[in-house]
Amino acid sequence: MSQTSSTGVQPRTQTPRLAWLSRPRSFTDSRRFFLFFMAAPAVLYVLVVGVWPLAQGFWYSFFRYNLIRPQRTKFIGLDNYIAIFEDRGARQAIVNTFQFTLTSVGLQLFFGFCLALLLWRDSRFNRIALAFLLIPATITPLVVGLIYKALLGADYGLIGYYLANAGIGPRTGLLTDAGTALWVLILIDCWEWTPLMALILLAGLKSLPTDVLEASRADGATAWQRFTLIVLPLMLPSIFLALVLRTMDAFRVFDSVFVTTGGGPNDATNTLMVLAVKEGLQFFNIGYASAIGNITILFIACMAAVLLLVVRRADVRINGK
Amino acid sequence: MTKIANFRLSKTTSVLGASLLALMATTAYGQDKPLEGVTLTLASQNDQFGAVLAKMAPEFKEATGADLKVEIMDYGTLLTKTTADFVGDTKGYDLVTMDIVWAGAYAENQYSVDLTEWVKRDAAELELDDIYPVILESLGQYDGKYVAFPFAAYANVLAYRKDLFEAAGLDVPKTMEEMVADAKTLTDPAKNQYGFVANGQMGAAVAQDWMQYNSQMGGSILDAEGMPALNSPENVKSLAVYKELFADTAPPGAIEYDWGGREESFRQGIAAMMQTWSVGAPGYSDPAISNVVGKVGIATAPVGEGVAPEYGVGGWGMAINADIDAKQQEAAWTFIKWLVSKPIHKEFNLDGAGSFMRKSQMTDPDLLAKFDFLPVIATTYENGNGDYRPRIPEYPEIQDILGSAVNAVLSGAVEPQAALDEAQAKAEELF
Repeated sequence: MSQTSSTGVQPRTQTPRLAWLSRPRSFTDSRRFFLFFMAAPAVLYVLVVGVWPLAQGFWYSFFRYNLIRPQRTKFIGLDNYIAIFEDRGARQAIVNTFQFTLTSVGLQLFFGFCLALLLWRDSRFNRIALAFLLIPATITPLVVGLIYKALLGADYGLIGYYLANAGIGPRTGLLTDAGTALWVLILIDCWEWTPLMALILLAGLKSLPTDVLEASRADGATAWQRFTLIVLPLMLPSIFLALVLRTMDAFRVFDSVFVTTGGGPNDATNTLMVLAVKEGLQFFNIGYASAIGNITILFIACMAAVLLLVVRRADVRINGK
Repeated sequence: MTKIANFRLSKTTSVLGASLLALMATTAYGQDKPLEGVTLTLASQNDQFGAVLAKMAPEFKEATGADLKVEIMDYGTLLTKTTADFVGDTKGYDLVTMDIVWAGAYAENQYSVDLTEWVKRDAAELELDDIYPVILESLGQYDGKYVAFPFAAYANVLAYRKDLFEAAGLDVPKTMEEMVADAKTLTDPAKNQYGFVANGQMGAAVAQDWMQYNSQMGGSILDAEGMPALNSPENVKSLAVYKELFADTAPPGAIEYDWGGREESFRQGIAAMMQTWSVGAPGYSDPAISNVVGKVGIATAPVGEGVAPEYGVGGWGMAINADIDAKQQEAAWTFIKWLVSKPIHKEFNLDGAGSFMRKSQMTDPDLLAKFDFLPVIATTYENGNGDYRPRIPEYPEIQDILGSAVNAVLSGAVEPQAALDEAQAKAEELF
């Protein structure tokens, strides 16, 4: 409210808040406000469903906090994290998760690239083949796990029964032996996700500049030279995208493991997510499960950073920029 | 606007209306359908009794006026959903089927209404004397208080193929040693015939089956002080025998079997013998699902030589959610009393619930005509032990530890002693 002084002169200043409101704003200011309010719902959404749970998970990981025994809740600092590295099963889960991720993503990159190169030429056959190849990626991982479990069972499995009878692999089935179970899971993952890898890489191949390729061909470069000196360097961004996507996904593997082996036998196929779900949703051990979740995030972030670094280095080395 | 008073009622309508109001106000009407308008939600395990409970809901409404909604789910989902309901005080379920081994957790966390006073008050109506003491104690009580009331008791029995035993000239095994020997005799992989089958799947399945055999061979999960004794010499020995049974006499895929897979292999005729809960027994004579109709005998479970005959008792109690209001709790208690009453519980079993628990049921001609194995169940209950799986709050974790350890031994990844040593170290951390 403005007040008139006894002399009839308007006071020099209004209250600060009103001054702020009535201050003439530049176009840039208005635009900034407008953009802020436009972005606000999205920011709020991310804060509520992303940042807040993450922060809570981080906080819980410093407590011994079990929903079934709330009265025993206690701040324990880093003990949950120490316990993860002290527990043989959890250590095994970390090793398994890395082995699973690196092997399956590596195989998928190799076979995905081969597939993408085969499908590069735009023909009707290739388009149809691509559509069929993508079928595995459309099936829920949980269902894929159940299908393979049924196929590989030693008693009734369409594949497992004959394998067991022929004396190939362990008598009790490939998924029940500590030596073979993780490899079977890696193969299942490859079966499902190699086509997706191929699709991403194929999109990259299709966007390559054809003039450069044609020029190299005219200059007499061999197929191998064209691949290593032109295709591969130009494909680095696509490779990076495919690797990051699949690495993050593979590192969080849960469904197919949970329904086929449940992490066994003897923790041979236990992964970080299976462990976290068991601790969090079966035993309601929220503190410990949160710590496992945070470690998983940390590992994924580290791997993404390493991938980024490697691709950047390669880019500098090959493309010189 | 039209006023209600503007409507004119005929004299007859007015009189009838007034009479109806008067009738509704009388206790006579109230007692006829005392729970009119009440809805009870029941979280049920997906055992045989689940479908029967759902089927009997209209009958309960007829008797009391209350609606009963039965939600049937598998074991893991039931545990997760009901625990979340209890912990979050969300009052999603009024009644919950409680596995015998959850009693400790229910008591410690006061998830369910303490029924002790109500049981005392209604003892005559419940006809407690007609229920086997071991069932009352292990399926309902923890530390002397009723955390639930028993409604579905199971006896651990030996199911065996009469035809195969006769053909081989064998008697039904009385001891574990005889059982192991018979299982070996009856195994012939070339004919896809195996002497024995049990749960091998990692987790609750293998843990529970092994605990059963372990107890029969003289082993125990806890010591006399109630502390874990997983790596005791008896336990290590019994685990070695269990592994031997799997390696030499079980179908190759048994390491992946849970209860369903085990029963299936027996009904398919692949296995000659298995220990099982009595609840599955009616299924063996059902031609729709069984290849061994008329060929199955039920006997009391064998015990180790020199071990006092004690048989496994398991099953389910009905608990009332402690979070719901008093009126709902009373209604839920009315349901429990109705369900376990002699005539209704008999009907419940005749409909295939497989949940026998009253002494009178063991000699009931109608039940005996349908279930000739009832005398075996009676003997099992008379010498029953409901604590071979410790009903302590830490049970779920112990079960999981054992579930991993025993499965690892069966897969050949680790030796019994090493597996149980590690399991013991983990179990000790819980106490």
